[in-house]
Parts: sequence; C-alpha cells; structure tokens
Amino acid sequence: MNYIDTLLSLVLLSILFSFGSSRLPVLIRVIGFQGVVVSGLPLFIGNDHSLGGMAFSLITILIRGLVIPLCIYLIIRRVAIRREVAPIFGHHASMLAWLGLIAAAAFIGNKFTLPVATQNVLLMPTAIALVSGGLFLLMGHRNAIAMVLGYIMMENGIYLVGTTFSSRTHHIVEFGILLDVLAGVMIMAIILQNIKQTFDDVDTDLLQTLKE
Amino acid sequence: MLPSMLFFLSAILLAPFFAALILKVKAFFAGKKGPPLLIQYYTLIKLFQKGSVYSTSTTFIFKLGPVLSFCCALSALMFLPVAGRPALFAFRGDVILVLYLLALGRFFTIAAAMDTASPFQGMGAAREAYFPIICEAAMFLILILLYVLTSNLQIKAFFQGGQPLLLWHKAGSPLMFVVIALFIILLTENARVPVDDPATHLELTMIHEVMVLDHSGPDLAFIELGSFCKLFFYAGLVARLVWPFETGVPALDLLLFFLALLAVYVAVGVMESVMARYRMDKVPKFVLTSFALAFFAVIVTLELAK
Repeated sequence: MNYIDTLLSLVLLSILFSFGSSRLPVLIRVIGFQGVVVSGLPLFIGNDHSLGGMAFSLITILIRGLVIPLCIYLIIRRVAIRREVAPIFGHHASMLAWLGLIAAAAFIGNKFTLPVATQNVLLMPTAIALVSGGLFLLMGHRNAIAMVLGYIMMENGIYLVGTTFSSRTHHIVEFGILLDVLAGVMIMAIILQNIKQTFDDVDTDLLQTLKE
Repeated sequence: MLPSMLFFLSAILLAPFFAALILKVKAFFAGKKGPPLLIQYYTLIKLFQKGSVYSTSTTFIFKLGPVLSFCCALSALMFLPVAGRPALFAFRGDVILVLYLLALGRFFTIAAAMDTASPFQGMGAAREAYFPIICEAAMFLILILLYVLTSNLQIKAFFQGGQPLLLWHKAGSPLMFVVIALFIILLTENARVPVDDPATHLELTMIHEVMVLDHSGPDLAFIELGSFCKLFFYAGLVARLVWPFETGVPALDLLLFFLALLAVYVAVGVMESVMARYRMDKVPKFVLTSFALAFFAVIVTLELAK
C-alpha cells in the first residue's frame, strides 16, 4: 500500500461525498480536491522529471485545484440564490449507485492494457469511477451549476486516464485540453448568468418553456 | 488462563468507570462540573439494593430479558483480547459466535420490551431491530476484509498481539475506513448520540432507552452493566486498531492500551457534545455510511491483493 493508492482511494471516497451532499460549496471543494490529486499525480508516477514537465504539472494543479473551483464559486456568488441543490435520486439510491459504480470500476479497470505499466492498481478504477461519477452527477441534477461540476468531475477522470497513456508528448496534449476546459467553464459561467437573468433561477427544467 | 481471567474481570470492573468518563466529557463541554467518575458504580449499587416492580401484563420473558442480555454481553467480553492479551476463549470462527451472542442479547431486550404491551416499547423495539440490521451488514463486510487480509476467522488473528500492526502494514488505507466504520457501528450498537440520545426524556424520540423504561431495580442494573460491557467490547476493538503498536514491555502496553481506550471514550463524549441527535429518518443514512465505507474498504483491499 503506497501513498498514491491512499490518495486515489480518498478520491474515490470524495465521489461518495459529492453524491451524498446537496450543498454546492461542498461539491466545489470535492471537485477542487480531485483536481489537485489528479493533476499532481504525474509528478509522482511519470518518468518525466524535466523542469518543463514539473512546471506543466504545477500549472495544471493551479488551474484545476484553484482557478476552476474559484470561478464556479464566484458564479454561485453571482447567480445562485439557493445553495441547496436536491439531487433527483434519493440518498440511499445514490449510495447504492456509488457502491455499484466502485465495484464495476474495479472490475473493468483491470481489463485495460495500459501503454505504460503502472504499479498503482487503483489508477484505472479511479479514473473510470470519476468519469461515470461525473455522468451520474450530470444526470442526477437539474441545477445547472451542479451539472457543470459533474462535467468537470468527468474531465478529471479523463485526465487521469490520460496520465497513463503517453509519457512523452503528454503535457502538450493535456495542456491543450486543460485550456479547453477552462474556456468551457468560462462559457458556462456566461450561459449560467444568462439563464439566471431570463428565469431568475438556474434550474434547467425551466429551459423547456423556451419557444422560438 | 489466570491472566486472561484477570483481564476479563478488570474489563467488567472498569467498564462503568469508562462510561462515566463520557458523562464527564459532556459536562466539560457544557461548562459544568459533571458527576463524579464513580457515578455509575453508585448507580449500580443503588439499583442492586432496590426491589423490582413487575407489571401484571408481563410474563417470565420480561424477567428473563435483562439477565440474558447481561449474560450475552459478558460472554462476548470473554472473547475480547484486552490489551492484545489472549482472551479467555478463542477458537475458529469465534467472531461469528460473538456477533450473534450480541444479537441474542438484543433479541431478548426486544422480546422483553414487547412483553410489556406498551406501545412506546414496541416502537423502540422496532427501531432497535431495524438499525442494527445495517450494522450487521457492515460488520460482516469488515469481517470479509479481515478474512482477506489474514485468511483466518478468529478475533485472535485480528486484534491480539502484533496482529493489528500487521493489518495496518498490509492494507493501511482500507483499514482507516474500517476504523471509521467500526466507530459508527459502536455508536449505533450502543445507542450513543447521533443515533440515539441516552439522556433524552421523551419516549417518542428514544430507541434503546424506551425499551428499558419498565425495568426497575436489579433488572435495570443488569441492563446498565450489560450495556457498559458491550460498549467496552466495541471500544476495545477500536482501541486496538487505533493504537496497534507493541512496545514489548507488558505494563507499558497495558497502560497504552487503556490510554487508547480512553481516547475512544473521549471521542464518543466529544461526538455527543458537538453533535445533535439525527432525525429518525436520517439515522439509516448515517448507519449506511458505515456499510458504504466497509464495502469500499473491501473493494480496495481486493484490488490491492491482486
């Protein structure tokens, strides 16, 4: 049992937190924590310890762990009246879904043949759990901010898969994706503000009333 | 054999003292002086000197309940390796026996409560039967985990001597979750605060206390002592996991074990001081958390074992 697996199991546990909590600030903290762990991992498991690689990882940590959560936090300050977001699924159903998700992720995670051999058995299961956990958050909420958070969690999972795939050109590709995500979050912020201005709430169900 | 006997007796003798410690911690948080540390002994002595009052609607089950639940708690305590020393009894599969001994004690408490024909007691009995079911599931998941790690089903193999340290070496992070899950189970099984308030005075909100309302005198004393022993049993398990180290000096080990035990009891007391009791519909969520944690620990361990 090494400390990377410990960190990854904490990430897995944080998915449970995000399912169980109905408060947006908690969700944001969870996303930020996942971002820090996920983007910090290449520092420990990769072979690339060049100055550029380190700098890339540090910037990624900064953006994923600080800039994106802070952006969303500011959006909440601007738009959301209610910080409570009730998921569509009940608490017990979410918890059961989480357990099934973890079991399935652990089962599927070992079926992959990774290009870079890794000793961290929890890496793939965590990545899969993050992707599907993000999807679950997306499905389970009508609140647009919670949906954005679900999307970012999915992205965290994809990044985690990416860390194992390429060791060389990895940083350039990842950095490109990261900028896309950042731009995506900003665009979503603008859309959120527009939804808020039109409907006085960020419930996506209200969008159904839109007509040409 | 003799040292084990002594440890067993000292566990029974010390259990009320530790239970009083929780009261002291709660009093400290409330800014009060609190009852003396020996309060539970005084209560027990007082109760034993009293006579019992039996309702005419009760049968022999009502008289049997307290004695049996007390005996079950005592026999469970016989399997506890106090301070990591050999327990009085140990054989293959004794964990399962201990779990069902505790369940048997609960069954007779419930049966005695139903026997009084009081609606409040029936309500408490229903709750008491419901919550520990989830606990039992969590407990068995923890057992699966410990079995995977040690391929043995004895309390001895999990909690005696240097075994806890070995468990930590084999699977550190899953065991972290197991400790939290075990602590939640401790709170639920012993009707402590987030699940049930032992100091409450309203029957509608009670779980365990409402079931023992009709008992009096020595019967109540047996129930109280039994619950102290049960709490000591669970706290002993948690304490062994929290402080798994062995110094090699028996006296020092004993001291450190009791310090760890103290820490567990203080943690219970702090928990009771800073938290309010959960609403009844939130309790299953809380207990289910322990199940989820245990399940998660099992999955992670199975992954690591590959």
